[in-house]
Amino acid sequence: MPDFDASYRVLRRRGEPDLRSLDSYRRTGGYSALEKAIREQTPEQVIQQVIDAKLRGRGGAGRPTGEKMRIVSRQDDDFRYVICNAYDADPRSWAARSMMQRNPHLVIEGVVLAAYAVGAREAYIFTRSFFKEGIDAIQQALADALEANLVGRDILGTDFSCTINVLGVDQGFMGGEETVQIAVIKGRRGMPEQRPPYPAQYGLWDKPTLVDCIETLANVPLIIRDGVPAFTGVGTATTSGTKVLTVYDYVPDSEPKLVEVPFGATLREILRHAGYSRPDSDLQAIIVGGAEGGALPPSLLDTPFDYDSLEEAGAIVGSGILELLPANTCMVGWARERSGYLSKESCGKCVPCRIGMKRVTGILEGIISDLGVKSDLDMLDEFADYIPAGSLCAFGVLAPNAYKTARRYWPEHFRMHIEELQCPTGTCLPVRAHRFITKHVLP
Amino acid sequence: MAVSIRDNLSPIQTSPQPVVRNDVGHSSFTLTIDGKTVQAYENQTLLSVAVDNGITDIPNMCNDEKLEPTATCRMCLVHIEGVKQPLPSCTTPALPGMVVTTKSDELFHIRRTNLEMLLSDHNAYCQPPCQADCPTHIDIPGYLELIAKGSMKEAARLVKEVLPFPYILGLTCPAPCQKACRRGLVEEEIAICRMHGHAAETCLLDPPHPFVKDPPTGKKVAIIGAGPAGLTCAYYLALKGHYCKVFDQQPQPGGQLRYGIPEYRLQKDMMDREIDHVWSLGVDAQYNVRLGRDFTIDDLFAQGFDAIYLGIGAWTSNKLNMEGEDAEGFVNAISYLSEKVEGKPVPVKEGDEVVVYGGGFTAYDCTRTSLRLGAKVHTLYYRTRSDITATFEEVEDGINEGTDLQVQTMIQKILVEDGKVKGVQCVKTKPGEPDARGRRRPVPVQGSEFVINCNAVIPAVGQAVQQDVLEDKSGVKFTKHGTIQTNPHNFMTDRVGVFAGGDAQMGAKTIIECVGQGKLGARSIHAYLSGEDMKEVARRLELEERHPDLFDIVPYKPVEPKVKMPMLPYEDRKRNFRIIEMGYMQEQAEREAARCLQCACPAAGQCDLQKYSIEHGLADNRFHDGEPTDYHDYDMDLSHSFILRDPNKCINCTQCVRVCHDVIGPDCYGMFGKGFDTIVSTPFNVSLHDTDCVSCGACVQVCPTGSLMMAERYLKRYAFALDRCIFCGDCVEVCPHGALGETPNFELSFFNRFGPDVTLDKGDLATAPDYLVRQRLPRSKKNLPVMSPLVRPLPPRGIRE
Repeated sequence: MPDFDASYRVLRRRGEPDLRSLDSYRRTGGYSALEKAIREQTPEQVIQQVIDAKLRGRGGAGRPTGEKMRIVSRQDDDFRYVICNAYDADPRSWAARSMMQRNPHLVIEGVVLAAYAVGAREAYIFTRSFFKEGIDAIQQALADALEANLVGRDILGTDFSCTINVLGVDQGFMGGEETVQIAVIKGRRGMPEQRPPYPAQYGLWDKPTLVDCIETLANVPLIIRDGVPAFTGVGTATTSGTKVLTVYDYVPDSEPKLVEVPFGATLREILRHAGYSRPDSDLQAIIVGGAEGGALPPSLLDTPFDYDSLEEAGAIVGSGILELLPANTCMVGWARERSGYLSKESCGKCVPCRIGMKRVTGILEGIISDLGVKSDLDMLDEFADYIPAGSLCAFGVLAPNAYKTARRYWPEHFRMHIEELQCPTGTCLPVRAHRFITKHVLP
Repeated sequence: MAVSIRDNLSPIQTSPQPVVRNDVGHSSFTLTIDGKTVQAYENQTLLSVAVDNGITDIPNMCNDEKLEPTATCRMCLVHIEGVKQPLPSCTTPALPGMVVTTKSDELFHIRRTNLEMLLSDHNAYCQPPCQADCPTHIDIPGYLELIAKGSMKEAARLVKEVLPFPYILGLTCPAPCQKACRRGLVEEEIAICRMHGHAAETCLLDPPHPFVKDPPTGKKVAIIGAGPAGLTCAYYLALKGHYCKVFDQQPQPGGQLRYGIPEYRLQKDMMDREIDHVWSLGVDAQYNVRLGRDFTIDDLFAQGFDAIYLGIGAWTSNKLNMEGEDAEGFVNAISYLSEKVEGKPVPVKEGDEVVVYGGGFTAYDCTRTSLRLGAKVHTLYYRTRSDITATFEEVEDGINEGTDLQVQTMIQKILVEDGKVKGVQCVKTKPGEPDARGRRRPVPVQGSEFVINCNAVIPAVGQAVQQDVLEDKSGVKFTKHGTIQTNPHNFMTDRVGVFAGGDAQMGAKTIIECVGQGKLGARSIHAYLSGEDMKEVARRLELEERHPDLFDIVPYKPVEPKVKMPMLPYEDRKRNFRIIEMGYMQEQAEREAARCLQCACPAAGQCDLQKYSIEHGLADNRFHDGEPTDYHDYDMDLSHSFILRDPNKCINCTQCVRVCHDVIGPDCYGMFGKGFDTIVSTPFNVSLHDTDCVSCGACVQVCPTGSLMMAERYLKRYAFALDRCIFCGDCVEVCPHGALGETPNFELSFFNRFGPDVTLDKGDLATAPDYLVRQRLPRSKKNLPVMSPLVRPLPPRGIRE
């Protein structure tokens, strides 16, 4: 059992000292990392420390952050940007809003450090417009930091300048995608662009742009301040550090718990730490990764929380949400509800995601209405391969996850609906009067 | 199933390669596409590299060389070695040493599934299958739309462009078009055939002419046989200005129309009214003359005819080839029907028991005529019921009118007593083993013989052409099937100048097929008389008649029940020959015609979606019959004077969005909505008319489907404020049709659609005080008066007059 209490780094817990004011933040060692880096280290040294710390992107993809910084800094261009993704695509995640609200200076320090590392003079904090308290706190913190010459022109008397803009936007689920944020800043409709070319090479206003999650950037000052060995002290061999998670119980409308856990802790330990010690028999599934995540059965509760082990199990780190489903959940119904949500949240740009997800939802609706036939499953499997292969951005790549994991771990539920024409838990209500049929017309 | 998760888009790793610069300094390098080493320049996309190097078969629907690529259609996906996920070639930059594959089963599958997805929400059609299946290719959606609007005479005129007898065919045609009707995939097909019958009935006495008749050419055509093929040929040749004379062996025109079709299906007095349209064009006729008896082909050429059309029909009944065919009570089907029409005594009378043998139209005409004469009728057919070639309605009507239908029954022997038919010995059949062509010939079931007592046997097992009318020296030959041998496309027989068509050329077929042949025969004869090369004519006609690549998808459509044709009740059909189809009322016809899905797309043939769908072998909709929320049914935006928007055909390729924003500038389009409901629309979804559109037409040019189309011009005259014109020439630059032009002398061209071109110069402007009266332009384009006070018609004059 890891030492959870020692793993709180970026998240401020209730009862801990308030770090919102500049003075209190500086008293705990705040901005010392920035001073150290700007006065004593070259950008390349900062990047090397991030690489040595094995910091992986907390936004869900888990790409090495240091490598990305190095690509941006080595681009042959005189202008670069940093975008801090504080958007929380899944509205059920509380990580970004909590961090902005309770630890705004850490975020600012992280953004300025990243800007220093890649040589950017302009940075954006891209967040949701309805995170009112978070935006207020970070604006106040920015004003204080500007006063103290920690942001803006000639930071700390050096010739390094970096302005930070806070953007409150509401673009639905897709607003969390990095190229969507670039498009929105440029004033276009929030739709992703095809990668490659990646934003690191060809980003905002066609300039190299570092887009990183707020949590990733908040970890950068800790690496510089405490040194690489202290940072890699927690976590696994491949992923060091901690992850902020939002944990939901299966009681409807219950408040989520926000916890910060070291990588490598098992799901069961995380749940216990969050205060949800449910017996396995009360659970149907645990959903790891938020709206695009996968469902894992209780037998996999001992899976360690890490990018690779979760990927193997079919789930993702994603938006950092753990959610419990009660034992009377029909997983076909759950997959259908998730697909329906995602088909509404798609940006509508590429065909597989826009129409494919709608059709997957339609077939699943047919199955829960007890109109399914066995060939529907073949068709669903076909589309579960087709949508990721054909989609433009990661949204489409991950969108069929709900169906895939439900089919992988609960084949019985599909069989009951299709062969016995009844819901395994008796909870599904019919939503369709007829199923899709293939109509052969003229040759 | 592999559960792959996580965004596995990884940077492309390629081997470093020396960069070469060409003579203008562009750095170039090589990469491999489909095993071919090609040269590329820095910042080129893979798609443009491929196109530059002659690999043009990468499908794509959202890319245009003048636009920034966005990769929405996912059709141009290619494999790049070292990258797990296929990437779109339109956005991926070419890198030195890349190894690219553009074809694979996986890519084909992704592309085809993309198309299936697009088509599952493509609320539109390409081409109307009814028109393709109609032997005369009537513009069916066109006339149905006219009928729905109430323009009956115009509808009849449209039909008469290819079919001279819409009323007659409306009652007698077996309607192959209706079998193809797409409405049948929603609920029930449209009464397409009866519709043109109704339209023509309203104007039988005041017939519309399909075209203006051409001036006389001085050429003479003899047409032998006044049946459907011959009369059709005469009709269209007369319209072309040729003199036609029709010869017929019967005392009255019509051929099988008159002598083969009983009165209850087609009233002969009404038929005569429509056939009169042919005579009103100046066609002459001579009756009671018979080819081979009264004249020969050489006689006609000697009389000065330039061409001859043989529409002599198939007037011989096929024999049963069994004993008793000469007994009393053994009836020839064709002479039976024609004698009944002529009012002569017929061998069937009330109380008789009659056996009709066959399953075609003639068999049913004989059955139902005998029933009306008061006989008890047994209809025997040796194949199964689904093999009966008469229409389903006809079979149903026969049973309801009282015939005793016995399928899978074969006549073995005719029982004759004292030279009179006493009955037939029958045997049941069953389908035999399939032969080499897969057809299952019926074979008798041993021991199932039985006898039907009767007074008359009417076999209707096919008709043949009378070959004795044509001598060998006429130069016209027969095929091994006993029909006249012609070129299959231009219908000329082995003798130059002699053409043939109809039953005589095809063997006994339907009326509509004969009409279709008559029409083509007329085209061919006209070409012959104009001195064209007949091989070229054959090639042209073959191309025209080729069945188009149809592609259709059945989207969601609200159900609209069919308006049934009012029929004469069965009890009123006894002992009389009253017409059984009583005809539609006008409102009924309009309602029925309005059910037409209008499944014709003006972009068919130029549509990328259609092209790729056919290439990928798609012919069905995998997502038919869902809920209404599974499909979109958008309103068309017809507000703009030049550009029509039909969002139902939009595939969200966003080419119009990009071309309007990046190239032209007014930014009239954008994506609207999100998720499945995303659609390209105007800002705030206003109508295109209310945007900053400059009517340049660039969006129509780039649209890969028929979603954006140039409108037909309805404006008769354009308002133009001469006193406001500053001669900037902007209108000249943006006009997509080049209707405005600059002249070297800085004059203003003044275009008037129905008048001659008018040119003004600056002097006119200065010396004409009337033009300087300031007047507000009308605000709305729609309510534009025909003429504003500023735009008065000027007498035409030249530039320097």
